[in-house]
Amino acid sequence: MSNDSTMLKDEQLSVESLTDPVWIRIRDLIYQVSGIYQAENKFYLLVSRCSRRMKAVGARTPREYLEFLTARPNRDAEMRNLLNEITIGETCLFRSMPQIDALRKVVIPSLAEAKKKFSFTKLRFWSAGCSTGEEPYTLAMILLEETQTRLKGWTFEVIATDLNDRSIAKAQEGIYNDYAVRNVPPEFMKKYFTPVGSEFRVNDSVRSFISFNRLNMLDDSKMLFMRGIDTIFCCNVLIYFDGKSKTRTVEHFYNALLPNGHFFLGHSESLYGISKKFRLVHFPGTTAYWKPSESTPKAGAP
Amino acid sequence: MKTETLDRLRSRISGIDAMPAIPIILRPLLRCLDQPAEQIDVNRIVELVSYDKSIAAQCVRMANSALFGRSHPVESIRTAVLNLGMWRVRDLLFSNSLSQVIPANRWVVDPSVFWRHSLGCALVCRRFAEIIGYPDTEKAYLAGLLHDIGVLVNCMIVPNEFRATVEKAYREHIPMDEAEQATLGFTHSDSGRILAEAWKITPDLVQAIELHHEIGDPERGGPLVALVHLSDLLCRLRDLGYGYYEPRQIDFANEPGWLYLVMQFPNLAELDLARFTFTLDEYAKEVGELVSTVFAA
Repeated sequence: MSNDSTMLKDEQLSVESLTDPVWIRIRDLIYQVSGIYQAENKFYLLVSRCSRRMKAVGARTPREYLEFLTARPNRDAEMRNLLNEITIGETCLFRSMPQIDALRKVVIPSLAEAKKKFSFTKLRFWSAGCSTGEEPYTLAMILLEETQTRLKGWTFEVIATDLNDRSIAKAQEGIYNDYAVRNVPPEFMKKYFTPVGSEFRVNDSVRSFISFNRLNMLDDSKMLFMRGIDTIFCCNVLIYFDGKSKTRTVEHFYNALLPNGHFFLGHSESLYGISKKFRLVHFPGTTAYWKPSESTPKAGAP
Repeated sequence: MKTETLDRLRSRISGIDAMPAIPIILRPLLRCLDQPAEQIDVNRIVELVSYDKSIAAQCVRMANSALFGRSHPVESIRTAVLNLGMWRVRDLLFSNSLSQVIPANRWVVDPSVFWRHSLGCALVCRRFAEIIGYPDTEKAYLAGLLHDIGVLVNCMIVPNEFRATVEKAYREHIPMDEAEQATLGFTHSDSGRILAEAWKITPDLVQAIELHHEIGDPERGGPLVALVHLSDLLCRLRDLGYGYYEPRQIDFANEPGWLYLVMQFPNLAELDLARFTFTLDEYAKEVGELVSTVFAA
């Protein structure tokens, strides 16, 4: 009985708080700090994630919580906690179909076309901030599929890096539960996974194309070694960096990429105000950044 | 397009009895809207809404829909109109009157997909105009809304060939105008222009309809054509297109229309286009609601 009434109260609170204009300010603050944009039709997500943090810090209203994010001494730590909350549970294999479609239908075919002219038949992808491996395995499966069909005779390599040793170790294991593989198309599931108890292990045929390494992206001397990359994925990582570190890291990415290379960020993540070297490009349902070749005419903005 | 082909197309269209007629409500509506937003007569809009029982019912239904989350049911047309706001009422009026342009059994494309795209483009075009400071945002809205009316003409005058065209576009994942050029020898921009001229729509709107795919020299069509061209592209990249995948990469900053607009409206250079794109997903919801209101009837 008491449980019911609490639930009811919570629901009423959230409906009420959805319309609180302070959410817009929190949304804009998150965008400013991290480059992650929360569309208004997804506000319920923002609200539910903030609510969890509000409970943890003891803020009673969105306005009070905004204060925790802006005026308190440990505001940076709280923003980090909130960003953790926002990006949590986002790691799964085949996470963003629009990005995968853009890769398969636009980016890889045009890469192959351009490289063929110079008799290059190798693709090199980099998953920067690969966490527990969902992204590099996804990329490897897609590339594997391509080299078995349209790109016969081609080879490829996926470089997967993360700062966290434990994440790297987990990534190398390559074992995922059914929640992490929920988006994997059945034909990929059949081809590239082996059930292990209630979980699924990525087959060695996929693993052999990936090299896992620990890498601190703020370590300039290490970043300088990353060169000759065709496509970089760096999802929900830069959001934790301050402005200067972001600019520096993005500069490294730029140098690591070959001309015409692509740089994919997380869904609804933007480089606005961070780098003007990359060019924003649109694919159906997703955006990415593109390193123009020397011969590309310069454009005004963005 | 060659004058000769255009003339042939024109005579073909005028020779057909089934040429779509301009909806009765459209002309007074256009006249009513052809003035600054603050001078638009609410009573006149309510009057126009009341002419058509089904539109009036839709207004009331939409005012009571989840999107507005009202605690008291709205019953009168006037309250519904005031609650929805002028813009939404106009969206409803336009999509209703235009969806009656061709009989239900003549559609070759899914009408709800068509209106989703047209309304989406209208909203994006208006928002785009506001952001860059283009003075006539209502005109931008109308141009976005009407840019593809040639699709309706094609449904009427060459239904079978157009069906093959649409199938080709879906199958080969190519833009509609490219498929039309290959199968029909003309595009919906050409047939749309002829219909717009027959409806005596203002010349700048006719131009937007005619040039929205091939803007050519942007000077010719001016900012309105560039706005419609870019909004149409954005919609097709953001789930407000014709419902099939067009594999391509668009670098907006390098589009002729964009380069032209930046010269005319320098603050466009400062636009956070990534963020603007993300906000389009918010429109998709609003447009979806609107279209389902119209088609639930």
